[in-house]
Amino acid sequence: MATGYFGNIKDAVTSIFEGLAVTASHLIRKPYTVQYPDRVPVRIQDTLPFRYRGILEVDLDICTGCLACERACPIDCIVIVVEKDKQTRQMLISQFDIDIAKCMYCGLCSEPCPTGSIHHTTEFEGADFSLESMIRRFVPEPIYAYKPSKGPETDPRIIPILNRGMRYVNEFAQPGGDKPAAEEA
Amino acid sequence: MSIRTEEMTLNMGPQHPSTHGVLRFVIKADGEVMREAIPDVGYLHRSIEKIAEKVGYHGFMPYTDRVDYVCAMFTNQGWGMACERLGGIEVPRRGEYCRVIAAEFNRIASHLLSVGTMGMDIGAMTPFTHAIREREMINDLIEELCGARLTFNYMRIGGVAWDLPPGWREKALAYLDHFDPIWDEYNALISYNKIYVERLANVGVISAEEAIDYNLVGPNLRGCGFKWDIRKDIPYSVYPEFEFDVPVGRGEYGTLGDAMDRYMVRIREMRESSRILRQALRQIPDGPVLAKVPRNFKPKAGECQIRVESARGDMGWYAVSDGSGYPWRVHVRTGSFAAMGIINKLSRGLMIADLVTLIASLDVIAPEIDR
Repeated sequence: MATGYFGNIKDAVTSIFEGLAVTASHLIRKPYTVQYPDRVPVRIQDTLPFRYRGILEVDLDICTGCLACERACPIDCIVIVVEKDKQTRQMLISQFDIDIAKCMYCGLCSEPCPTGSIHHTTEFEGADFSLESMIRRFVPEPIYAYKPSKGPETDPRIIPILNRGMRYVNEFAQPGGDKPAAEEA
Repeated sequence: MSIRTEEMTLNMGPQHPSTHGVLRFVIKADGEVMREAIPDVGYLHRSIEKIAEKVGYHGFMPYTDRVDYVCAMFTNQGWGMACERLGGIEVPRRGEYCRVIAAEFNRIASHLLSVGTMGMDIGAMTPFTHAIREREMINDLIEELCGARLTFNYMRIGGVAWDLPPGWREKALAYLDHFDPIWDEYNALISYNKIYVERLANVGVISAEEAIDYNLVGPNLRGCGFKWDIRKDIPYSVYPEFEFDVPVGRGEYGTLGDAMDRYMVRIREMRESSRILRQALRQIPDGPVLAKVPRNFKPKAGECQIRVESARGDMGWYAVSDGSGYPWRVHVRTGSFAAMGIINKLSRGLMIADLVTLIASLDVIAPEIDR
């Protein structure tokens, strides 16, 4: 009886000191926390991985006006107005709005985009004072939709934008396709 | 005039730090001892099942993340599998491996959160910060894999959306090498701590028959000593290819089926998940990860029921298709909802302070109860 009583006390004391030893060992370990937002050595946005799904952005220079993103969005937070210019017979984008307040960052819109025009950035600090200011309007004045050229792109202004866009598109798995190179690289 | 005592009706929640979300209890107490605790669910009901009927098969995938935000990979997988069964789609083998790897990492993360909050609920703050630290590393890994830390939306009908990024496999293995010693550290910190054991042992004892009667699943059922794991008993995906054990409660600190047993099952399951992950990362085959599925996915009319072993147990996905592009009916069967049913019975005669232990040991997640 008495040994059980004292045994319990011994158990309690040793197990508490075992726990305290773990805690004490953290005094000499490197801290894992960061002092967000102002005392970080690098901006958090720059340390995030390429696939990070932050606030959406549209490169209108390479937008083909295909409306694939508008159709894919499950909550209809993208509104695009495209009409055909009767004189030049080209597609004219007159409105491309994304309601960031409504967006749930699922990434379903950037998946079907053929050129990677609509893509997620690593920005995540989107707080603002009104819901109206959360609507991103990407078309200041109507712009002609990008028309993919048959061969490789020749416009020196478009090439870097398109390269970035295609890199984004290529991150997504191709249905039925095989990408063994990605594993080794 | 004589002094008399009377039953006291207390309200706990819906905004209570230890009810794990918006969850309310009406407690009838006699002093410190509860006569009963009546769970009042529905504060987090967001009609997710109805939303499925409006957004279509592809569009519902991000919503499944919200069914259980602590282990969203399993809800993703459940919905993906339900659609695949309806449409007769076969997932490529690499895709299945990617799913299992992501899901098992998620299981460790979910159990870490459960273990950490369990300590916090009964007054031990330190284990929570330790558990969250390891969970954060898993979140970093998953963020690199699919771009989000909590609402993953990683899986698609017919596979996964992103292949493993270059160098990810090495990082994942390095994490597991880091995690296994940390697992022993957790045990030294809390699992074998005398005060902790005393708080958990002999609290909320459930017998195996009772657990089956009340439809408990997952670690809650296994904690009663009943071996039932969907991964082993009704195998899905590529789980038959892995070697792993199903830990069950042994009643080593008190009665079989008490809160400590449920806790220990979760602790041991993390080890088993780590074992599965090592095998999966080693034997992952090359090949495509996504099957060809039309963007306008219209499965034939019919219905299906899918069972997935999520971190909170057997998760059922029931889907009915009428041949159009939108599901006719979707129903989710979750482990947390079943666990709420037994709380009333277990709370009788329990101290009020132990109710928190009981809720934490059943590991209920509010959005999973209400959907």
